Amino acid sequence: MSTTWAIARHMIAEGIRMKIAFVLLVLIGLVVLGLPFTIRGDSSVSGAVQSFMAYAFNATGVLLGLLTIFLSRSVADELVQRQIFLLVTKPVARWQYILGKWLGITMLNAVFLATTGLTVYGLVHYIKRTHPPIDERYDAAELENEVLVARHALTVTPPDFTAPAQKEFERNVEQGLYDNVPDFKPEEEKERLARKYEAKWRVVGPFDARIFPFERVLCDRSSDRPLQLRYKTDVSGYPPDEVYRGLWQFGDPKKGTRVYQVPVRHVVGRFHTVRFPADAVAEDNTLNVVFVNENPFRDEPQANNVIDFRKTNEVQVLFVVGSFEWNMIRLLTLMLCKLMFLGATAILMVAVFSFPVACLASFTIYIFAGAGSFLNTALDLASDSNVTMFSSVKEFAVRSIIHLFGMLRWVVPDFSRYDAVEGFVNGQNVGLAWVLDGVFWLVCVKTVLVLGLAALFFHRREVAELSF
Amino acid sequence: MAERRLPVVQTAGLCKTFRDFWRRPCVDAVKDLNLEIQPGEVFGLLGPNGSGKTTTIKLLLGLLYPTRGRISVFGKPPTDVSVKSRIGFLPEESYLYRFLVAHETLDYYGRLFRLPSRIRHERAERLLDMVGLRHEAKRRVGEYSKGMARRIGLAQALINDPEFLILDEPTSGLDPIGARQIKNVIRELGRKGKTILLSSHILADVEDVCDRVCILYGGQQRAAGDIDELLQRTDATQITLPAVSEATIEQIRDLIRRIEKKDITAVSHPRIRLEDFFLRIVEEAHAANIRTSGARVGGAVPEFLKTPTATTTEQIVESLVAASSRKIETVTPVLPTALPKPDHPERRVIEELLGAGDGRTVKATSDESVEIEAGDANQPADGWPTASAVGKPKIKRPRPPRAGDAGVIDELLGRKTDEPSRDRQGAVNEPNRDRQGAVNEPNRDRQGVVNEPNRDRKGAVNEPSRDRKGAVNESNRDRQEAVNEPNCDRKQAEDDEPQSNERLP
Repeated sequence: MSTTWAIARHMIAEGIRMKIAFVLLVLIGLVVLGLPFTIRGDSSVSGAVQSFMAYAFNATGVLLGLLTIFLSRSVADELVQRQIFLLVTKPVARWQYILGKWLGITMLNAVFLATTGLTVYGLVHYIKRTHPPIDERYDAAELENEVLVARHALTVTPPDFTAPAQKEFERNVEQGLYDNVPDFKPEEEKERLARKYEAKWRVVGPFDARIFPFERVLCDRSSDRPLQLRYKTDVSGYPPDEVYRGLWQFGDPKKGTRVYQVPVRHVVGRFHTVRFPADAVAEDNTLNVVFVNENPFRDEPQANNVIDFRKTNEVQVLFVVGSFEWNMIRLLTLMLCKLMFLGATAILMVAVFSFPVACLASFTIYIFAGAGSFLNTALDLASDSNVTMFSSVKEFAVRSIIHLFGMLRWVVPDFSRYDAVEGFVNGQNVGLAWVLDGVFWLVCVKTVLVLGLAALFFHRREVAELSF
Repeated sequence: MAERRLPVVQTAGLCKTFRDFWRRPCVDAVKDLNLEIQPGEVFGLLGPNGSGKTTTIKLLLGLLYPTRGRISVFGKPPTDVSVKSRIGFLPEESYLYRFLVAHETLDYYGRLFRLPSRIRHERAERLLDMVGLRHEAKRRVGEYSKGMARRIGLAQALINDPEFLILDEPTSGLDPIGARQIKNVIRELGRKGKTILLSSHILADVEDVCDRVCILYGGQQRAAGDIDELLQRTDATQITLPAVSEATIEQIRDLIRRIEKKDITAVSHPRIRLEDFFLRIVEEAHAANIRTSGARVGGAVPEFLKTPTATTTEQIVESLVAASSRKIETVTPVLPTALPKPDHPERRVIEELLGAGDGRTVKATSDESVEIEAGDANQPADGWPTASAVGKPKIKRPRPPRAGDAGVIDELLGRKTDEPSRDRQGAVNEPNRDRQGAVNEPNRDRQGVVNEPNRDRKGAVNEPSRDRKGAVNESNRDRQEAVNEPNCDRKQAEDDEPQSNERLP
């Protein structure tokens, strides 16, 4: 281990003295330090803090990703400039060399991330102190309760619409509606019908009400800290003043909880938060939230709008489960996990190819991992497509590429699955389970696999021969 | 019975073919190479550019993998990590990290050998002293000159006190001080039983330090063997004696012509080597504390390198001891009385010259000496540099002997000479002087101790002098003849001369 550690230390020393590393670090510094003075968000202090944190962490993530790829140049340089001759003729196993380099890059990333975290933390408090508040009481409370916290978010559990979907499906079959449908898939049709029922359930007509049930609301019911409802609505028949009016009710009288009613007057198309006391939650940790689409403000005109709580604008109940500081540490850990995988990938590439090729390949994988969810959807659509768009040769080529990317999906993780910045800036808890999932899949499985491949390739490589 | 020791390096049918981008074979760098390097041996790998020397070394170190054939280093494949802790390697160029300072460089390589911090620090200091870069230890290696970087390269190769040292072109880019120092290190380590593989174009360096050599051409072995056996010339005889007059030389020539029917092909005064002269000037400058940001005169080989080779078993230690004692036997001077005195015409000639029938040699009383080489004038040695014209013997820059020398010679020859001898142009010969006009003294180290002449590993003096055109004067060519150099101290001369006398055919 001492040998690996020696190589890691050397990698750190080299990384610090690399010009490209210096340039990227200056960029990170400029972004992080410059943002508080340029970003104003939505004029509120919480908006300013959220915008600052979002830009700072996203920019740091991208720049450290680039830095990680450039740091792997150390291996390429040692091969080209032949310092490797002196290394592999010492009692250093090839795998120790690879591990040492990766460890060095990882430690550099950890230090840079920690520095960024501390700087962001300090600047958040600076913004909090210096930003002119719109409404001092409201702004401060919003920042403390909605941004500088770690809140667990629960999404609504819609009722099971399998039964009505099945019933309608059977009725349609009887009526022979599917007789002329080519390549008919009954299961897909049933799912479509269930989704249709759910979409209908999410729509609340005028003078109608909808119950949104939540389960496993594991908050402290005696807590002074209120729970929060976060939602965004789409409204059909846009109200003339862009404001809709309604009533939220929290609590279930059947389960003996206190019931709270909150009349709201909210701007359409934006996220809003409604606070309510924790004792609205039942003892069995369930919570009933009811929306009544009726104007509670009697002196204001009633607009007969249809309110749509779409699945993409999920209705959430949030409650505080931890501190902002620990939340940030968990966020940084997830970011580090991604960089650890990227570091291993970059080292694998330079162990096989010369630096320009390796650099290009690493960037491709970085983009592939970053755009994972989009690519996954695109690949699913492409592989399911039965439409012959091309000639047979082109078809074969396209299918081969799809299969290649399909295989890559097994190795390259979907970074968007571990993208916690957006939730973090909204004060959502970066759950420990999520972090452990990242550590397990990104580090213990995928990084170890990639490092193993790198060690294998490097072991077989004749270091005195140049690669292409 | 002593167990046969495992060769440090053994190759069998070793081949390496380089391939192009499409994996087509394009160059056979090494072809069917069979090498065996024994423990404690200084082995030279020679050959022109592209002959496969460096490729062979890379194969031995696991930097390249053989296309065919087998390699074992310390009985294991070269890729075995455990083997590498016993190897020190100086590549053909010093592939060092430009951003590290010298001390950091040595510390880093020390860490890779898992040396404890105290030992790392200690060795780094000693090695920096040895290579004369202690005062530049805080400078980045990237700022060093090539020669200075080579010195650090040598230091890193020795940080682990290796049993087997591989030096690829070790003296390339080095100033004469560095080159001499590397040779001294090689000799010192060789004496301590370390195994050394040396690859070099500089044949004089190889000749100075190697026990055995292998000459490669086109990736194939063309010649291999003990360097003394390979280089010995049996078609010529060389006699070195204190300076004598031209008249004496004429008499000797007549004598040889009369008895042997042969002519003397060259008569010359040996010179000190330019390397020795240069080193003396630099040492004087160093002693005068003249400032330099370059390399300084290095120190002695550190003690940790002088300890016997680290071994794992007692048997190996014993065999090492046995090996070194065998070496000592070969350098023990043989007493004249212990040797038979064949009734040989040439012996009679020498005895007649020396005026003593008991085989005793003349004691050297001066630094001045004359080299005489006798050979068959009609049969020049093929392939060997010769300082003489065919036929008429040539006297090279004759210088008059000092009074003491002349007296001894006169006494030997039974005549008196009052005037200094003159060269053919009639100029009075001066004693050998350097450019400042100082009479050359024997080389002394800083403590004022007279330096020993360079000796080969068997203890024979080994300083082939050269003329300015670079031709090797044939004196001292034959190591077994063990001719004394003028800068040899007197005791050594006494020890060696009977031996050289007795070895005359």
